Amino acid sequence: MKRILIVDDAATVRLYHREILEAANFTVEEAMNGIEGLEKTLRSPFDLYLVDINMPKLDGYGFLRELRGLDLPQAPAIMISTEAEASDARLAYAAGANLYLIKPVRPNQLLIQVRLLLGEVCP
Amino acid sequence: MNPDPETVDPIITESDFQKFREFFYRKTGIQFDSSKRYFVDKRLVERIAATGTGSFRGYFMLLRFQVNGDELQALTNLMTVNETYFFREEYQFQCLVGSLLPEIVARKTDRRPIRIWVMPSSSGEEPYSIAIYLLERWVGIHHWDVEIIASDIDTRILAQARQGLYSQRSVQYLPPDYLKRYFKRRAEGYQISDDLRQSVEFTRVNLSERADTRNYRDFDVIFCRNLLIYFDDVSRKTATETFYDALLPGGFICLGHSESMSRSSSLYKVRKFTNAIVYQRPLETP
Amino acid sequence: MALIKTQPTPESVTEEVRRHPRDCAGLLAQLTDPDPTVRRWAARDLADCPDISPVLVERLHQEADVSVREVIVTTLTGLGDAAAVAGLVECLRSEDAALRNEAIEAMRQLPDAVAPIMRGLLADPDPDVRIFAVNILESFCYPEVEAWLIAVIDHDPHVNVCATAVDLLGEIGTLAARESLLRLKARFANEPYIRFAADLALERLCES
Repeated sequence: MKRILIVDDAATVRLYHREILEAANFTVEEAMNGIEGLEKTLRSPFDLYLVDINMPKLDGYGFLRELRGLDLPQAPAIMISTEAEASDARLAYAAGANLYLIKPVRPNQLLIQVRLLLGEVCP
Repeated sequence: MNPDPETVDPIITESDFQKFREFFYRKTGIQFDSSKRYFVDKRLVERIAATGTGSFRGYFMLLRFQVNGDELQALTNLMTVNETYFFREEYQFQCLVGSLLPEIVARKTDRRPIRIWVMPSSSGEEPYSIAIYLLERWVGIHHWDVEIIASDIDTRILAQARQGLYSQRSVQYLPPDYLKRYFKRRAEGYQISDDLRQSVEFTRVNLSERADTRNYRDFDVIFCRNLLIYFDDVSRKTATETFYDALLPGGFICLGHSESMSRSSSLYKVRKFTNAIVYQRPLETP
Repeated sequence: MALIKTQPTPESVTEEVRRHPRDCAGLLAQLTDPDPTVRRWAARDLADCPDISPVLVERLHQEADVSVREVIVTTLTGLGDAAAVAGLVECLRSEDAALRNEAIEAMRQLPDAVAPIMRGLLADPDPDVRIFAVNILESFCYPEVEAWLIAVIDHDPHVNVCATAVDLLGEIGTLAARESLLRLKARFANEPYIRFAADLALERLCES
């Protein structure tokens, strides 16, 4: 089973994404900021990351930059944010995101993108 | 007749458990999955009774809204194992001699002693464990001087640490030959040998006082296990900033096994070694 | 070689302390010293100087080293006066996500100083600032917090501001929030996330 890490400081958002992904048979772990996300990744890397932008201690951009600098097989990352400005998306891609989505995300939209990035369906 | 509320355990629903679990995770970084439900419920019931709040709801409001945070601290105490004994969380000492010290000596350009700060000292099991570990398991001790400074806010516990008298229970995980080498049998238990007692400096420090911590500098490694988890957000942030200046660039901090720097500071680099996750002051400031 | 015993302070440090005077004028000068260690200690010790928040706020915007910035924010949090809070509010509008989040964390520690301006923050034209305001409320131990959150979900047009408020209502909400949560679900009937979050909060509401 593919493992996905949700990095978000809002408990309800984590639970929402978790339920969508678990219903589609993914294994899900949670971290509430970028540092905890890095700790969990170093213990055991994930197949995909769902990352919020604004979080205490280490934000989503910082998390992605650190993640991309780790000596690990690189996995896709989706940045999910409340911020709808094009400049935020540019920053996200520059930090190493593979996709930028704006909250709130619909279940089907999330699952399609996750499967595409994991190479489970053809584009 | 209604059951007496004093004698009936308050009911904790699945929804209560979820709500508590998210709150506790945010505050302490400790995550309980559903398999820990019984463990958590039992302790919640105990604190509901002790605080006289009568129900989960009343108790959660106290926990959530209490300004001084005393109840959160009392509960965290119950949810974590708070014992100290020789060689507790030994994997970190393995990491110290197997990974951290080799990296530190490889980087060193002078012959100054390697400095280790243990905070809190508590009754001394941890600094003495480190001393024993270095003498027994680190070949580098033949080439380098090492200073161990152990600090605590509590002067009574420091006096106890200097005296170095321990129960059978406290030394039970030590290999028998270490016990023979570094301890003297006393009527009251085991006392650390004079040599070892002389090799650890014990000092009184309040981590929140600038005047106390200002002179703590140039450390290669800091052990701060199972302390920050009991601090409030501001004290925890102040403490980790203090450690940043107490460490040399490239120096390491080891936290307790249920603790994470993710509640304290983003200044440190997260490093994974064979035996442990350790935090490092970057060699160059970002 | 062996275990040796010395004092916590190496001699070089005492010399260094002597070289840097710890009076307010000296500390202000050290705030721009090339050595970040000197800047960090200056930012810490300036806490004892009067009317220092505006200087620290100004420095916060110029300081490039995150380790110094963190200490400045900690000192501002400790001061917690009106100038410190005003400076932190400005940081909420920063393009720099790390600075925004540092400001949110600092303001969470200053409920008494932030509460009087909370209504204004919750009515800010920028939805991001309104989201941050709700984030800040998380740490407030006031009975008014629930009423503020209820007003947000009743009136805020932005889905993500409401979503953030619902998250917190799930933790601290009482039955007083019930009707508003139901109305919110109806208002955003096409948003699966709001449905999910509101249902979760409704399930967790406390009888008050």
